[in-house]
Amino acid sequence: MQEPQPTKLAARGAGSLLGRTWSPRGGSLSTDSLESLLLSLIAIAVAALIFGAFLALQGHDPLAVYRTLYLGAFGTRFSLESTLTQAAPLLLTALCTLIPARVGLLVIGGEGAVVLGGLAAALAGVALAGAADLVGTVLTLAAGALAGGLWIGAAGALKHFRGVNETISTLLLNYIAIALLNHLVSGPIRDFSQTLKAQSWSIPKAFMIGNMPGWSVHWGLLIGLVGCVILNVLLRHTTLGFAMDVLGGNRRAAQMAGLPLGRLILLATFLGGAAAGLAGAVEVVAVHGAASESLVVGLGYAGILVAFLARQNALAVIAVALLLGGISASGGLLQRRFDIPHAATTVLQGLIFLCVLASGTFAGRLLPRRSAQ
Amino acid sequence: MRNKPTPPEIEIVGLCKSFAGLRALDQVSTSFRAGRLHALLGENGAGKSTLVKCLMGYYRADSGQILVDGQRHIMRHPSDAHALGLGMVYQHFTLVPQMTVAENFLLGRQSLPAVIDWRAEHSALDQFMEGMPFRLDPRRLVASLAAGEKQKLEILKQLYLGRRFLVLDEPTSVLTPAEADEVLAEMRRLADARQLSVVFITHKLREVMQFAQDVTVLRAGMVAARTAVTATSETGLASLMFGAELAEQKAAAPTRTAMPEQAAYLELEGLHAVGDRGAPAVVGASLSIRPGEIVGIAGVSGNGQKELLEILAGQRQAQAGSVRVGGRAFRGTRGELERWGVSLLLEEPLLNAAVRSMSVMENLALRQFDRPPLAIAGWILKRRALWPFAQALIQRYGIRASSPSAPLETLSGGNVQRTVLARELARPVRLLLMQNPCFGLDVAAASEIRQQILRVRNGGAAVLLISEDLDEVLQLSDRVLVMASGRISYETDRSHADRYVIGRHMTQARARPSP
Amino acid sequence: MTGTFDLGWWGVALAIVAGAMRVSTPYLLVSLGETLTEKSGRVNLGLEGTLVLGAMSAFAIAYLTGSPWLGMLSAGAAGAALGLLHAAISNLPRVNDIAVGIALFIFGIGLAFFLGKPFIEPRATMLPGIPLGNWSASPAIRSAFEISPMFFLGIALAIALEWGLKSTRWGLILRIAGESADAARAIGLSVERIRTFATMAGGFLSGLGGGFLSLYYPGNWNEGLSSGQGLMAIALVIFARWSPLRCFYASLLFGGASAIGPAVQTVGITEGYYLFNAAPYVLTLGLLIYSSSRTRTLAGAPSELSISR
Repeated sequence: MQEPQPTKLAARGAGSLLGRTWSPRGGSLSTDSLESLLLSLIAIAVAALIFGAFLALQGHDPLAVYRTLYLGAFGTRFSLESTLTQAAPLLLTALCTLIPARVGLLVIGGEGAVVLGGLAAALAGVALAGAADLVGTVLTLAAGALAGGLWIGAAGALKHFRGVNETISTLLLNYIAIALLNHLVSGPIRDFSQTLKAQSWSIPKAFMIGNMPGWSVHWGLLIGLVGCVILNVLLRHTTLGFAMDVLGGNRRAAQMAGLPLGRLILLATFLGGAAAGLAGAVEVVAVHGAASESLVVGLGYAGILVAFLARQNALAVIAVALLLGGISASGGLLQRRFDIPHAATTVLQGLIFLCVLASGTFAGRLLPRRSAQ
Repeated sequence: MRNKPTPPEIEIVGLCKSFAGLRALDQVSTSFRAGRLHALLGENGAGKSTLVKCLMGYYRADSGQILVDGQRHIMRHPSDAHALGLGMVYQHFTLVPQMTVAENFLLGRQSLPAVIDWRAEHSALDQFMEGMPFRLDPRRLVASLAAGEKQKLEILKQLYLGRRFLVLDEPTSVLTPAEADEVLAEMRRLADARQLSVVFITHKLREVMQFAQDVTVLRAGMVAARTAVTATSETGLASLMFGAELAEQKAAAPTRTAMPEQAAYLELEGLHAVGDRGAPAVVGASLSIRPGEIVGIAGVSGNGQKELLEILAGQRQAQAGSVRVGGRAFRGTRGELERWGVSLLLEEPLLNAAVRSMSVMENLALRQFDRPPLAIAGWILKRRALWPFAQALIQRYGIRASSPSAPLETLSGGNVQRTVLARELARPVRLLLMQNPCFGLDVAAASEIRQQILRVRNGGAAVLLISEDLDEVLQLSDRVLVMASGRISYETDRSHADRYVIGRHMTQARARPSP
Repeated sequence: MTGTFDLGWWGVALAIVAGAMRVSTPYLLVSLGETLTEKSGRVNLGLEGTLVLGAMSAFAIAYLTGSPWLGMLSAGAAGAALGLLHAAISNLPRVNDIAVGIALFIFGIGLAFFLGKPFIEPRATMLPGIPLGNWSASPAIRSAFEISPMFFLGIALAIALEWGLKSTRWGLILRIAGESADAARAIGLSVERIRTFATMAGGFLSGLGGGFLSLYYPGNWNEGLSSGQGLMAIALVIFARWSPLRCFYASLLFGGASAIGPAVQTVGITEGYYLFNAAPYVLTLGLLIYSSSRTRTLAGAPSELSISR
């Protein structure tokens, strides 16, 4: 290869609206999956080491902590069930970051979409009281998905029609959604007969979904798994998925190929929001039965981490959600056995995220790539 | 910091430099005498840039010597070169657009005061420019300067910093013929007055013959010749640059079949568009192109050509005006591109027309992925069909890639352009839109592309060629238009095209800042 | 805020003004810090985590040593440390600073809650205020005009930075890293070093902002201390078009908006409390929509910034 040629971009000076050199989607999927997997594994290992050192400084035995972590995540049937329960919503909230990432957007609004999805589900459930069980359940879930989809879709519209940065707008929408939830749940739609905490009117018991046969894990897990699989098919095996890849890879190339940018962006943000909204709806329909501040537990933010760790690959999300679900599930056990505050799991998650991001610099350089002549 | 009053004399002995196993410089020896204008000639990839970057300490040569005024110096870093009074004006501007002229001047200084007194600095700069061949207002924002003014600012910066040996890398590539002449004449004048030694890199033979005193010709990393300009000619230089056979090839006029008159295929009417920073870029542009005709738009970079093509490519919205293809309104949707047989060859394909992280076969499929044989019912993508589809194109167009599934970014520049060419031309083309298609490519790849363009034209397609290389426009076009300040300001046909008349029209309209 | 009940709606106005000065201080400090960071060409979305970690450090150190000033210093140090981490990772090629910011947001908050657990109950020594309202007999006015020195520090910084960016060598160097990394490298500057310093400075100021929260107003440490102020500061910087002086005005505006909720409560309007709390976010979103344009880059944005591309 000759010395690097000067590019016109440099010749014209910086500062134009050309594509970024970094895409939230990460590197090429078909050729780099093995390397991506290796990088993620190395990142997790490094994060584990650092966290272990951190624990040691606090006076705990890292190996004992990790053993307990494993026990609390996968060691017993009970812990496995807890892990699956924790992982279930992550499967869907991760999609709220993943799908827009495919078209080049960095959306972090999962938290808000979950909240709105739960709200909409609670309201829909109450409004549909009297309908047949299955119909009620399905419509309630659909309402949650729709609400989440519209919420994030609005951010997508703002981005496409107005150029508003989607990271900041979805972040703000998170807080607005939470404020809306708090307002409604503390007054207008409050069920005052519940004295433990402020919560909305409850949906009919008949609409609630129970556990899968033989396991103490609700059907939401299956919904999440199916969601990831369907999405993977959509992204890899349809022309729509290909068009999204092109847009995420190079916006200008997508334009000159005549692809409908607005439609792709709106669809991607709507689907992402719908997934997170569905997660919120599942929380109401399978766990709580009503909307309350229990919807605001960081499902959205954890979903962001899952998406990044899975390098925006819908199937890898399943494995990663299990891992992070396991970490969350063992938090209680860690607290009881070692008196480690629950925030430790957040620290570990943050460390993993940082290591995964740092590992991205080695993409394309870890495994020898067969370069062309 | 050098403080001798006379410009330095530089000698280069046996310089070698390799990049990743490829020899960019092979035992290059030459000398740049003091107070003379020296041209460094060669085609793209010959090693001219590498040579001067080694001289400037931007690269570290693998072996060889650099002697300044007879003393050996090792250049590890540009600051070593600066200390000896050597300065370089790069091909891409190193100016900061959102800062003022004065700020750009100050930035290069070795020692800046902690607190800057702008009033004093501005008057000092005004005084400095009194004695200079070019003058600029220090308070202006660089983004508001035209390309020619920016080039002059770059040169002034070097003089301001006290540099006595200037290297200019393709200084006239963004200038009109008249501006280019002005700059080179000034450089020659300063050299003759024993104030500067100047080396300028170029591939334009005319400039060498007209202004330079000495010339060094590089070919494939080696010195092909060193001579005084008086001892040679344009044809002599051409054969030294390319070797005798290639020179003939380059001079041979490509065949052009006569085309019957038909109704216009592409019609632009009163197009208006705004640039990235909000200033008007395209102002009432109108043109039409018939089938079997190449219309070339010449113009200095920054006069709206980029924005015009972006409108056609769907990368920019027009504020007003209409685009018609085949008599019907054209919005650039995927269906229209297909129906009207529109193909685009944009400059810098990795930035504009291809997805670097996707594989070669996926890039080749960009135009066809939603149609059989690659798709079923327009919805389902048959990934397995990508490989044979790509393989056929790779063989037909001679794309060199390790495999169809290799990421596009692992290909060389020429092969990326071949990939895009294959994708765009491997379907019935009735309208071909191109912008600087051969920028940065070596002569072999460039002439290949030009052959393809003519083939398409002879096959009855309407072709729009926008290029900053006036030679390219003159060589290929049936009709030549000039775009200046966003307007189509001049039109002529092939037989009446005169380089200097065209050049005058390139700056005819009011001096306008580049967007 | 005793006694405002007597003043009725005047009390509300007073509360908003006083609240504006009080609540705007963390916004001011964080946005000034982020302005520096973004002027160098980097976005730090992790400021929320920095804010919270700073708050915790300030409270913990103030409690342990009895000196609120040491607490503030340690808050700044913690913020600078997170800034260093942000810069170290973002400087690596092909790493996106926005994503790093989100990761630090999570990491910073986690670390703060983890290390801060033992400090939730106890009460640390608070930062003193400057009593500027002592001319009045009314206790309401007195308490309203007891202003923290950090507010004045913020104003001084805003003016100093506005001038410094234009007229000092450091200002010029900072700006060139944010406008054109190529040009900066061409004159021999290390863009990575400049951005590291800028991000650390930004982190330091954000840490101070956090310290203000825990040691002055609201003056305690718990897990609900910050509610997105760090993130709103990012939008504030965009709204202020990267000018330190405009950051000051915008902070007052945001502070006032945040103070409406509590202020209105004092005259007995308790409904819609949460909606009032949403006011600053809605305002921010509105301003963001207003200042963004589909076709043009944000006016005044440093050209190297990833969010303006």
